[in-house]
Amino acid sequence: MTTALTLSGISHDFNGEVSLSDINLSMESGECLALIGPSGAGKSTLLTLLDGRLKGWSGTASVLKKTLDANKPPQRNTRADTGFIFQDFALVDRLTTYQNVMNGRLGRTKNWASVFGHFSTQDHMIVGSILRDTNLAELADRRVDQLSGGQRQRVAIARCLAQEPKLILADEPVSNLDPALAEKVLQLLTGEARKRGIGVVFTSHQPELSQRFADRIVGLRDGRIQFDQPTHEVSEGTIEKLYFGSSTEPGLRVVK
Amino acid sequence: MHRTVTWLVVVGAIAWAALTADVEMAKFAKAGPRLWDFLSRMVPPDFTIWQDMLRGLAETLQIAILGTLFAVILSVFFGVLASETLMQPYIWRSTRALLAAIRAIPLILVAMLMVGAVGLGPLPGILAITFHATGMLSKFYAEAIDNVAAGPITALQSAGASRQQQLRYGIWPQMAPVILRDTVFRFELNLRESLVLGVVGAGGIGLYIQTYVRSFQYEKAATATLTVIILVLLSELANGYLKKRVT
Repeated sequence: MTTALTLSGISHDFNGEVSLSDINLSMESGECLALIGPSGAGKSTLLTLLDGRLKGWSGTASVLKKTLDANKPPQRNTRADTGFIFQDFALVDRLTTYQNVMNGRLGRTKNWASVFGHFSTQDHMIVGSILRDTNLAELADRRVDQLSGGQRQRVAIARCLAQEPKLILADEPVSNLDPALAEKVLQLLTGEARKRGIGVVFTSHQPELSQRFADRIVGLRDGRIQFDQPTHEVSEGTIEKLYFGSSTEPGLRVVK
Repeated sequence: MHRTVTWLVVVGAIAWAALTADVEMAKFAKAGPRLWDFLSRMVPPDFTIWQDMLRGLAETLQIAILGTLFAVILSVFFGVLASETLMQPYIWRSTRALLAAIRAIPLILVAMLMVGAVGLGPLPGILAITFHATGMLSKFYAEAIDNVAAGPITALQSAGASRQQQLRYGIWPQMAPVILRDTVFRFELNLRESLVLGVVGAGGIGLYIQTYVRSFQYEKAATATLTVIILVLLSELANGYLKKRVT
């Protein structure tokens, strides 16, 4: 196994308010890692940093063996290597399912050919196969603004997979869905990622889902890592302390 | 206190207008028979002038089509300059002030100035429509740019899309229906406005109506008026159909 990401001494603040503080984290490729913690813990900020979209942080960060620059966004092909799934799906409403999933190919296609609407046969084959894998083939020609929340999140996952990423970052991917649907969507996401050997980092407000789907759980609070443990070692008490206890409480900081 | 002042101002304005305007109620009594006389002279409409009507209609359509086209071209430029998301505040603020000033000048005044500048015919009509419509369309286009949701663009950027790809597949699909709807709406307005431009000599079917009324050929004026009504109804139908298609 190779290393998918390494963070060392990462700190960041928004207008003087600390959002990340001395974050040290590494992850193997193919691993599924859940970031949990209360609102404002820094989960989304950390994911945005890993996606290369956060500016002005300090420390060193390397994702898929490429060092991130705190002041410059990554190049086009580097961005394509990291897939991102957004909480609010971030689909283009007036486009069809097929077109939205094809948007995932944009980082892998010739720039001007795609601007003029030309995509290769390989692009179409990849999109077709992903639509089948995600059970979206029948909805291919439907505009995404006519789909349900669960279907839209599946389209977002399909778009991410079409990107052929080497690492998937998912920011609260199921927070807008009901519990049954949330489970199905996470099953799809982690299942497809495992099938392809892709590492996944997802944030969640729901610890029980993280425990079901992640190999490892990292607890964040006030921008600091409070614990970083394999899922089977994370106890109910640890999670309870993360959400309801004080961050300075002894016994909470179990960093691997 | 504020409400009392507001009411006093409103009542004062109405009283001033009613008492000082030269409105002779006695004229109302005479208006009925005159109007009846005027209308009865319009019946039956004289349809022998249908060829003139077609010519006038064609000219009106030409003014509306070319005026809209030039306004669209200018509005893309000014729309970008007036966009809050794309431009520095001093640029978009000054552009918006300029556009507001353009909108504040009445079309008929612009048309009269253009007739004075380039002479009679459809050209002053086209110029007037272009000028006037640019004031409104540029503002609409700027708003369309500013209302594009940022989320999908960030998603494409994150997926490795270039600036051109983001524009083509993230920004344009969101803007297109709004721009198309606003342009169709403006075309309908331009068509209605170009109907009356003839009155000041700026071409189109309005010129025929003006000529017939001035020369007391009311039955011909009736035909021209009917033609205008039919054209406006048709453009409303077309607009309604297009609106449904682009939502």
